[in-house]
Amino acid sequence: MFGRKSGSGKRFQHNTAGYLFISPWLIGFLLLTLWPILQSLYLSFTEYSLLDSPVWVGTDNYSTITTSDRLFVKSLVVTFTFVLFAVPIKLLFSLLVAMLLNKNVKGMSIYRTLIYFPSLIGGSIAVAALWRNMFGLEGYINHILSWFGIQGIGWIANPDTALGTLILLNAWQFGSTMVIFLAGLKQIPKDLYESASVDGAGAFRKFYNITLPMLSPVMFFNLVLGIINAFQMFTSAFVITSGGPANSTYMYVLFLYEKAFRQYQMGYASALAWILLLIIGVFTLINFTVSKYWVHYEAEGGKSR
Amino acid sequence: MKKSSPLLKTLAVGALASVVVLSGCGSNKENAGSNASNGGSGSADKAVNLKIMWWGSDVRHEATQKALGLYTAANPKVTFTPEYTNWDGYWQKLPTLAASKTLPDIMQMDAAYIQGYVKRGLLADLSDIDLSGIVDEQVIENIKIDGKVYGIPLSYNGQGMVYDKVALEEAGITLPTNNWTWEDFFAYAEEARAKLPKDKYPIDDLRNIWEWYQFYQTSKGLGPIFKDGTTFNLDKDTWFEFNEKYAEFQKAGIVPPADLQLSSKENDPQTDTFGTGRVMLRGASVGSATAIEALLPGGRIAVNSYPIGEAGGGWAQSTIFFSVSEGSSNKAQAKEFIKWFISNEEAGKTLGTVRGIPINNDILQSIEGSLTAGEQLGIDLLNAAKPKALPFYPAPAGAEDFVSTYKSEMESVMFGQNSLEKVYETLVEKGKAAEAKLK
Repeated sequence: MFGRKSGSGKRFQHNTAGYLFISPWLIGFLLLTLWPILQSLYLSFTEYSLLDSPVWVGTDNYSTITTSDRLFVKSLVVTFTFVLFAVPIKLLFSLLVAMLLNKNVKGMSIYRTLIYFPSLIGGSIAVAALWRNMFGLEGYINHILSWFGIQGIGWIANPDTALGTLILLNAWQFGSTMVIFLAGLKQIPKDLYESASVDGAGAFRKFYNITLPMLSPVMFFNLVLGIINAFQMFTSAFVITSGGPANSTYMYVLFLYEKAFRQYQMGYASALAWILLLIIGVFTLINFTVSKYWVHYEAEGGKSR
Repeated sequence: MKKSSPLLKTLAVGALASVVVLSGCGSNKENAGSNASNGGSGSADKAVNLKIMWWGSDVRHEATQKALGLYTAANPKVTFTPEYTNWDGYWQKLPTLAASKTLPDIMQMDAAYIQGYVKRGLLADLSDIDLSGIVDEQVIENIKIDGKVYGIPLSYNGQGMVYDKVALEEAGITLPTNNWTWEDFFAYAEEARAKLPKDKYPIDDLRNIWEWYQFYQTSKGLGPIFKDGTTFNLDKDTWFEFNEKYAEFQKAGIVPPADLQLSSKENDPQTDTFGTGRVMLRGASVGSATAIEALLPGGRIAVNSYPIGEAGGGWAQSTIFFSVSEGSSNKAQAKEFIKWFISNEEAGKTLGTVRGIPINNDILQSIEGSLTAGEQLGIDLLNAAKPKALPFYPAPAGAEDFVSTYKSEMESVMFGQNSLEKVYETLVEKGKAAEAKLK
């Protein structure tokens, strides 16, 4: 059959070769990604402690989570608060930095490198540990405050300020968002600004009527990714505060992690993961729906709205 | 070969690629298969490789690896594949290994977890290892589960207290004495408050740590929070009495303010309130003695027993074991190794006190001359804890939710965000839920 030269045989040959070449990836995807995903879907309907075999419990996990788990509600409140503040602050901050770095100043590339540099180590444990020391009771921040005669507090040990500290850390890790903004800014044709200047537009007018609309696809991209990442926030909450004090930084993913690996409730944790997927899915969908009204693609021409 | 079809070529390349990818998975399976076929019939003179896992600090890792080297040097047919992590990582990894039926031959076990593993038939019965003359008979009796030994104790552990003797003497405060009562303990705190500088505190505010309250309850003879590991047993009056006392203490500045307290990470030189000299006295386990001595070196630290009640106080017993996997095909060699591990003098010298005070008295005596200050502190702690020690009551497997709720709810009380009455209700609810799971 290998020797056949009929049309269908040829196509078969063609496709097989293709599949064979991507088979390392394909097998990896099927075995290491798709299979665990399906398994977690199955496990979310079971009670599974890792040590015993899973026991089918139907939708029990889902109903317990949604009706009687106070920690579920608490972690959702914390996570939504985090997303609500962290995402806009980070976007705004990185846009501002990107616009500063878009100026034509001598040695700009050095500044860019320097400012981007922290992001290379941004999400790591080391930075989280650094943050913990900086905002601790005897930390650097309180040291600086004491110069001005202000009595500092334990920023990360106080339930009122702990979440704010994490939001700040998230905003500080603006590097990759900033680079994408910068690339977007570079794409905007200079002649738009020039003709606007000729027409007598001020800096704010130019920003509002040219920069923002032209940048909106990039903004949209950053927003979608930012929201998804913020919902999955884990490292800093785990390392800096371990969810405390008094659960004030008890992020959803941290909750999931503790259910799975501290309390060995794998089924319950799987159900939590699927609920998170649903939440993120809904938010992304809303994002895409709303994007029609504010994202402007140049390819669509000067379509008037 | 000139005419070889392109399909064959691509097939060959593709197959090669997938073989490379798949080989990782394949070889594992082969190993598993060959292990299973040897099942149980391991003869002592066959070359074997023992997988061994433990948790601990770097010091423990280094010493243990050295000891493994000693064993292999003496028994060239036995080699080891060691794996070691910290405490948290260990208890994440072990259940995963149990689920995939790939538990190591020898694993370190903790008193808090061993029951759960025994209940599921994952650990081998080690009762036939002859420990006479190595481990005290009473100790063996204490660690039996359903009349059988599933973990060989490696060390003595215990819980006592440490205090900054120099600072207390300077301030003219009456020093604590062994076997003091809880009333003495509270009286010390009040006296010390009056005599210490304002930014130093007599004791910690450990209301958010459930064990700390449990010590209070058990010392009064009321039993642990989970009686027999199943029945929820939080004594309402005692609990309120205890927490109201601490609320008063917080108002009076006898304990540190909540944000200072929660900034403290035990044995972390930068934040540990005892280590930074902010708190004068705290509980300490034998296992952490070396770390504590490093916080305040130079003989500043003195030891004391826990506050006791009519039933006793604190605890002293072995909590670290070596267990053998029921699925292991090299049980005989594993048992032999474990016996050597706690009885060989050279191994004892290499290991020192990295797992606590050696369980074997001969070993302890042989290293007594070369103890560091931290190790000596551990022995002092054990001696202070022993006379009135209560049993060690870990949280039963299944009560994790209760434990974490206890912590977060009590933290909200410490910050004045919640009332004791409300927290008590929540705790009872969580405790009953845990009880339903445990039965």
